Amino acid sequence: MREYEIVYIFRSVLSNDEIEGRLERYHEKLLSHPGSEITAIEHWGKRQLAYPIAGNDNGYYVVAQFRTIPAALPEFERLLKLDDELLRHLVVLSEGEFAPLGASDEGAGESAEAPAEAPAEVTAEEGAAAPAGSEVDATPAAAEEAEEGTAEEAEEKTPAPLAAEAETETAATASDGDVTESGE
Amino acid sequence: MATSPRAGSSEMRFKKVCKFCERGIRHIDYKDERLLRSFLTDRGKILPRRATGTCARHQRQLDTAVKRARFLALVPYIHGYYS
Repeated sequence: MREYEIVYIFRSVLSNDEIEGRLERYHEKLLSHPGSEITAIEHWGKRQLAYPIAGNDNGYYVVAQFRTIPAALPEFERLLKLDDELLRHLVVLSEGEFAPLGASDEGAGESAEAPAEAPAEVTAEEGAAAPAGSEVDATPAAAEEAEEGTAEEAEEKTPAPLAAEAETETAATASDGDVTESGE
Repeated sequence: MATSPRAGSSEMRFKKVCKFCERGIRHIDYKDERLLRSFLTDRGKILPRRATGTCARHQRQLDTAVKRARFLALVPYIHGYYS
């Protein structure tokens, strides 16, 4: 049993019902393997794409976490490829955190994160979640008892304006607090 | 763009510390595009370590994270290329 994470990008023209339907179908396929479970589903909703995919400028993002046996994946992914309305999908091993859209990484550093690059099999523990609209260099703030937003923003020397990006969606959604639903 | 000294000298200014190590590490989330963007140039290129002060380990994580984010169109491959 391994913990995986998947990001789906559906064509934005689909209705919510259709998307739900497809998600159901795909997840059932996974669940058909005993012991598998879907530990979290998060709908990011419509987002502007950084570049056009298949002629679309935006897409409907869904992020899900699940647990299953490795052997279940090829068939699962094969199914996903067949869907014309699913523009992209990416399955990765869970990295031990589950940050909602646009959140900084602060919240994940609570307990033993696997220090190495190798993804750990830790279940998502984004317990405290990200404070609303947190920016990476702004005070990581209240949510993290350990963190203190000291003057880290001062040393930002990179040319790209930090968090001044007009990704309005990211600022709006931030932490819904529903991240904690990921079963621990 | 890069803040490192030019012309033959390739020393990294050690005033900078790795932003990730400072904050007590963690794994870099490829979905966190705000964070990721701060490590890209205005054209969307990944900044070198000497410009950001990131440690080797985190730079590697960053690289994978950015590449995944690019694939998922959370971050462009080349900024301003697609009109």
